[in-house]
Amino acid sequence: MILLETSNKILEETLRERFNSGPEHLLIKLADFDGVTYQIATPESKTQLVISMAMGCYDECQRYGADAILQREYGSLLVSTPEPGFAVTLKIDLEQLPATPEAKEQLVQQVAHLKRNALAAPFESAFVAQCEGRTTDLMAVHYRDAEAIYCQAQADRVTVIFSTVFKEETDRIFGKVFLQEFVDARRQPAIQNAPQVLYSAREPPLEIRGQPGLVDDENVGYVTFVLFPRHYATPQARNEAIGRLQLFRDYLHYHIKASKAYMHSRMRARVDQSLKVLNRAKPEQPGANKEKKTASGKTFRRM
Amino acid sequence: MSNTLRPYLNAVRGTLTAAMCLENFSSQVVERHNKPEVEARFSKEVLLTPVVVSRNENEQVLIEPSVNSLRISIKIKQADEIERVLAHKFTRFLMMRAESFVVLRRKPVAGYDLSFLITNFHTEQMYKHKLVDFIIQFMEEVDKEISEMKLSLNARARIVAESYLTQFFA
Repeated sequence: MILLETSNKILEETLRERFNSGPEHLLIKLADFDGVTYQIATPESKTQLVISMAMGCYDECQRYGADAILQREYGSLLVSTPEPGFAVTLKIDLEQLPATPEAKEQLVQQVAHLKRNALAAPFESAFVAQCEGRTTDLMAVHYRDAEAIYCQAQADRVTVIFSTVFKEETDRIFGKVFLQEFVDARRQPAIQNAPQVLYSAREPPLEIRGQPGLVDDENVGYVTFVLFPRHYATPQARNEAIGRLQLFRDYLHYHIKASKAYMHSRMRARVDQSLKVLNRAKPEQPGANKEKKTASGKTFRRM
Repeated sequence: MSNTLRPYLNAVRGTLTAAMCLENFSSQVVERHNKPEVEARFSKEVLLTPVVVSRNENEQVLIEPSVNSLRISIKIKQADEIERVLAHKFTRFLMMRAESFVVLRRKPVAGYDLSFLITNFHTEQMYKHKLVDFIIQFMEEVDKEISEMKLSLNARARIVAESYLTQFFA
């Protein structure tokens, strides 16, 4: 469980179950990373599945061409006017599902990647522009309250910059250790071809200096990924890269939390051990009348 | 064990053994009170001279004896930011469990990271030499635990970074 999945597991499992069993009334609300929420419902009839997604930064994604991507991925499933309070709505008729199990599974996967596809817009437009030799303006997506992704195609590369906030001191220090390893990892011969990673705490990188909404605080960190054409030249590599980049922040914070939990369990074990040493200092009470064991395993009490 | 740690711990052990010479002693100031004199500090004449055993400026032990109680304060080595956070987390974790540790104080003495308070009642209930063993073993383990936690954090960070970056050219 080192890596995170790009699809939404709950959405995936719910759809798979719906597709492979009889019609049933349904109303499920579920959450994804970065404050995204989904609603799966059957408002009109049991066979009409309506999946809606609310996303804080969808209007920004829309500006960078999210509508076209969703149209390409979902085609006729896409509803032109989304449900009130949601950014995107898909409608699936359970009576007109694809016949083969493989095609069904493909549809499940496609719908489970809804958030990924919506957030892919700035990355995809930057990659496409760079492949065609164009440059783009800096595209900002404020995918969380105080955090944003900046993405820009330049003459020979694409830079992606994340700003991330560490809520507390421990997170900040752990985050620094992790990000330093990201920077250093490329020194190894095995991963020299990976995108270059740069990290700066507090000070925003040159590319995004002067952008509105930058917070000047000790707890803010900036991570820059520099991608070269080899990372996005083929469509397959491009899809991989988009999925990975989107999840970077979640991946980082997930592992910070995981190592904190690990430290906690270690400390717990250590406390138990120390307590045992302390209890050794107490002499055995003579009147305790403890149950004793013989060599053969029988127990007895000394009266 | 490094060659400076051994004499340091030996000095602490010797001082503790000598200082742990406690007897029941009721308060001279308040009638029918029996308090650890090193904490109460009501009468000067029952307090003994405090001793600092120090390995370097970051690792010290302060031992404050008195007629019926003994206070031991430990300063833990904190070489960098990570060790500082880990030491803080660990000592906090321990002090929240002070109830089950009996001899552990809920708050450290100012300037130190962790304090123990041993009274004559503790030495009456427990073997004195084993109590000293506990303190010494504890000091050894705290350092070991913190450096192990730091290593495991670095190892994890490396694996996490590598497995993320290798995906880009899978």
